[in-house]
Amino acid sequence: MRNLIIAFLFFLPSLAFSQSFKTESGEAIFLSKAPLNEFTGESEKLKGLIDLEKNLVDFYLDLNTLKTGIGLRDRHMRENYLETDKFPFAEFTGKMKSIPALNTGTTYPVAVVGKFKIHGIERNVEITGNLQKTSSGNLELKAKFDILLGDYEIPLPKLVFYELAEKQEVSINATLKPVK
Amino acid sequence: MMKKLAVFAFLMISFSSFAQLERKLENENQPVDLIFHAPRHINILTVEPLDKKSMHFAIMHTFGTLNGGIENLFGLDNGANIQFSFEFALTDKLSAGISRSSRDKVYNLYGRYLLLEQTQNDKMPFSLSLAGGAGVNTSRYDFLPEPAPNFSERSSYFGQVMLARKFSEKISLQLTPMMAYFVDPRSVYQIEGDQNFYLALGLSGKFKVTDRSSLTLQYIPNLNSDLRSNVGIGWDVEAGGHVFQMYFVTSQALNEQYLLAGGNGVPGEEFRLGFNVNRIFAIGQKKRKY
Repeated sequence: MRNLIIAFLFFLPSLAFSQSFKTESGEAIFLSKAPLNEFTGESEKLKGLIDLEKNLVDFYLDLNTLKTGIGLRDRHMRENYLETDKFPFAEFTGKMKSIPALNTGTTYPVAVVGKFKIHGIERNVEITGNLQKTSSGNLELKAKFDILLGDYEIPLPKLVFYELAEKQEVSINATLKPVK
Repeated sequence: MMKKLAVFAFLMISFSSFAQLERKLENENQPVDLIFHAPRHINILTVEPLDKKSMHFAIMHTFGTLNGGIENLFGLDNGANIQFSFEFALTDKLSAGISRSSRDKVYNLYGRYLLLEQTQNDKMPFSLSLAGGAGVNTSRYDFLPEPAPNFSERSSYFGQVMLARKFSEKISLQLTPMMAYFVDPRSVYQIEGDQNFYLALGLSGKFKVTDRSSLTLQYIPNLNSDLRSNVGIGWDVEAGGHVFQMYFVTSQALNEQYLLAGGNGVPGEEFRLGFNVNRIFAIGQKKRKY
């Protein structure tokens, strides 16, 4: 038992200095293309972690920071659809199917599998994107995926189907800096 | 052994927090959303703020009394009092508005300021707003034997404090101490009161029935006059970018001064149908459509 604890204590610092990259200010855009209305909800507060050693990809967004450009629409979005007072975060935790070599300056297509959670509902998803290591040692991630509101039990009333799209196109754009 | 297990558990927890990012709210004091559906609730202004560079446009109507029955299509034949209002947000807290109601052709200029905002963590348990304005009656009084009232004699003022709290997902209440002052309350004006100064306490309630609609209530007892109290009951519906408000109310008055001085019918017998359409426009921004 004691050995185990000591082993953990040894293990902890090595985790902290592992090959991980973080962002506090990634960009997340939700695009809604309904027949009569197209709009985006945008945030620049996407938090993310990519740990190459442990193959961990972890992102979350405080949905309260999502802005559509119209305050009342933001309020309706938070209160009626996302219910942010109960479920404030959109989260993804998963791993890369294979970790690319990440030579500086080359863009690698990556696929991540894991769990995406919004509105308190968790689903297994696979998301593809592009990853690049820049000359300054950062990781740049771009990804696009669709989510269907129905999959996450976000009801879309018939009256507003022309204002809000069932399919939300999500774009992620983040520069992750190495953790020292 | 227990102690060791506890240490082990603690390490496991710190281990897992190293693995995943800790979920943290960007703003711990996140304000509560939508205490009411719109900046108006039946007739009373609410604490609901406008965002900077947006405009609230409302059309309000109240018709004749219902007791005429089907012959007068439940009061719709008797002509409506109609108020148009435009309220512009100068900041996220301060807005300025102009309204015009057809009863006595009154133009009102008013301002609204959000002083305190209720937060989700209850650090601030309520929202508090102030509103005040001045109005002028622009009806022609050429037919009077005596000289028509001058500008000052046509003016009236109002001030109110709105104190509101969203008690739960379903229930919101607002207390609104209100006052109105008429410089010269002549009998030819379409008000029942003959005092200069009026004091009342507005009570507004919202009970959310579905995600996008609520039962609404309004009760405005007069505190310093013998006039009947205003009673209203209605239904708010959010539809796309509009908030529709349908209600039965005891007064045809729509602006604040007339609401207090205008007089009220007997609830139940002299209810009138009322109907508001609220819409928020973003101005000076690229995205205009809701």
